[in-house]
Amino acid sequence: MSVRIDGREFPADGSILDAVLAAGIDLPHLCKDDNLPAIGACRTCLVEADGRVVAACSAPASSVREVLTTTERVERIRRGVLELTAAMGDPRPDLPHGPCGVQARQTFAAHAGVSNGLSRRERTAVDSTNPFFSFVETACILCGRCVAACQQLQHIGAIGLAGAGLATRVTPGASITFRESICTSCGSCVAACPTSALSPKTGGAE
Amino acid sequence: MQLSPESLPRRARLLPLLHAEHGRRGWLSPESVTAIAREARIPVAEAWEAATSYRDFHFESPAGKAQVCTGLSCQLAGAATEAGEAVMGCRFRCYEAPARGHDQPFPEQFIREAGPLLAPDVTDWRGLERARSVGREAALAEIESSGLRGRGGAYFPVGRKWAGALAQNRPIALVVNAEEGEPGVFKDRALLCRRPRRVLEGIAIAAELLQPAVVAIVVNGEAEAARMSLEAALASPGLPQNVDPWVVPGGGGYILGEETTLLNALEGRKPVPRLRPPYPVESGLFGMPTVINNVETLANLSVAFRDGAAAFRSSGTVDAPGTKLFSVSGQVREPGVYELPLGIRLAEVIERAGGAVSGSVTAVLTGGPSGGFLAPSEFGVALAPGVLHPTGAMVGAGGLVVLDESSDVRAAVLAMARFNAEESCGKCTPCREGSPRMLDFLRENDAGSLEPLLEVVGAASLCGLGQMAPNPLRSALHFWPELFR
Ligand code: SF4
Ligand code: SF4
Ligand code: FES
Repeated sequence: MSVRIDGREFPADGSILDAVLAAGIDLPHLCKDDNLPAIGACRTCLVEADGRVVAACSAPASSVREVLTTTERVERIRRGVLELTAAMGDPRPDLPHGPCGVQARQTFAAHAGVSNGLSRRERTAVDSTNPFFSFVETACILCGRCVAACQQLQHIGAIGLAGAGLATRVTPGASITFRESICTSCGSCVAACPTSALSPKTGGAE
Repeated sequence: MQLSPESLPRRARLLPLLHAEHGRRGWLSPESVTAIAREARIPVAEAWEAATSYRDFHFESPAGKAQVCTGLSCQLAGAATEAGEAVMGCRFRCYEAPARGHDQPFPEQFIREAGPLLAPDVTDWRGLERARSVGREAALAEIESSGLRGRGGAYFPVGRKWAGALAQNRPIALVVNAEEGEPGVFKDRALLCRRPRRVLEGIAIAAELLQPAVVAIVVNGEAEAARMSLEAALASPGLPQNVDPWVVPGGGGYILGEETTLLNALEGRKPVPRLRPPYPVESGLFGMPTVINNVETLANLSVAFRDGAAAFRSSGTVDAPGTKLFSVSGQVREPGVYELPLGIRLAEVIERAGGAVSGSVTAVLTGGPSGGFLAPSEFGVALAPGVLHPTGAMVGAGGLVVLDESSDVRAAVLAMARFNAEESCGKCTPCREGSPRMLDFLRENDAGSLEPLLEVVGAASLCGLGQMAPNPLRSALHFWPELFR
């Protein structure tokens, strides 16, 4: 089984995203963690597959024949999603070779510190009660990786995404602080965070 | 033989426990959710993220406030909040707009036109007996040949959905969806309140043919009357012995119409969509192959087996046979539920409902917040599955909200945009961040910024709610561009 990506054939293993990245193509994938199943929340990994715009992380490569990552349409829509993401606050890409990809880095950089009047809500909580890391909400893009790491990888369940719609927020326990929660300071959420929303208190800070 | 709800994983108790506690106290505190989390044996953060995602739950005491509906049909009827009244969103009593106060049993007189589905409730189990006597293979073939499609809004062929689950060769879960959370749609409530045995026969036929390990019926948490009517029917003597359903009150939210969200809700998880694949028929409720059918769909099984596939095919269209329950509300003389053949022209439904209250009909919203506003030039359209207009209007669950010369089309469009923004589950970025901004641009008459955003939200969103949120706006911009300049 193979899949045609931007004109070249590649093995159709795993998701479209797996195949695209294996092909050495740069594609943002903010909510896909190497250690976790796809979440499908950030919608930045968009490609055009057999003429449809799909999230590459959550579609099996074997289910499509032809993938295009740079059509005018998909670039435009992906940029639209990245702009909405940037406007959430101040998402600074965390890892140098992380999931942001060039397009996300450029979009975030272009929007950094620029108030475009589009920011939707008060996302300004800071929780530094944990001795090892802090949570700075302005950088959070609600990708859900930290929660998935805590619930599905560590089976701790110290944090959740409380609330719905625009009111959704990363929340320890039933709205308590990290320190008061059952957080064991394992650091999984910090490692999973694609922005600097969850960051170590020493060493890793920018 | 069906499993009892107690034999499901303990976390399945979360939603019923939250609902019961909310019913007792009128709101949920962090302490009460913490206690419930212990009982369901899930981490508090997981119970809290689930609880705080439901629209019907309050997290502070709403002591003593009267409630007023702010759904579209009630808004068209002039509902406005007075001091001290709590805003409720749609109360699903659009037939008696403006609706105030608590849930009521659906009044029989608002069943305006009855066909085979809403004929007087069944008194025997002839349909079930026939399904049994012809045998499983033949009965499944009959569903296939009846051409029955799902009535929840997607019109997926029932036979094909079932075959997908049966092909897994594992114990199946049957989930009956009566969560009904679309403003302007109240036909599931009508069915459950007025024809509960019709629904039960349909469920019994499905149980006979699918042999599910578990049957869950999710009824909208605020549709108290519908749930009580269903439970009374379940307790009445002479019931088919093969159904022992788990009746679950929902927690509210348009997003529960999305199948995988409903499954998460039943599993005590945050009600947000899952990724597909896997599809529910492959791996749904707690990993079981799962069939999710709307109550109206199952009630149709009762009709199809009583009258036979050929008779069932005699109404509706070749591609979509049978009747549909249309919920007609808004500025129309005789609002209520109309059971009419699929494929009927919109103009005829309006005429049967007595036409506009004042002057003529100026617009009809079909398919609710995921559908579109149609102008009079389109009223000749046949109400059948598929798009009714290139801008995305569709029949969906069969809600028809009528606007007349007294109605403010712009305000109605804004109401739908606001609904979608508020009902976004928040899981994915384009819908969560984009749909509130669509509302802003619409308010500001900024069509230039709105158009590209409609493309982004429609194409990039994870589930149907976000993907279809642009539809009512697209249709409005198409038919009434001058209202948004
Ligand atoms: S804190 Fe980081 S990992 Fe968690 S949701 Fe926010 S951005 Fe994603
Ligand atoms: S499209 Fe909207 S409702 Fe659907 S998953 Fe995304 S945020 Fe939730
Ligand atoms: S990486 Fe695919 S949706 Fe986030």
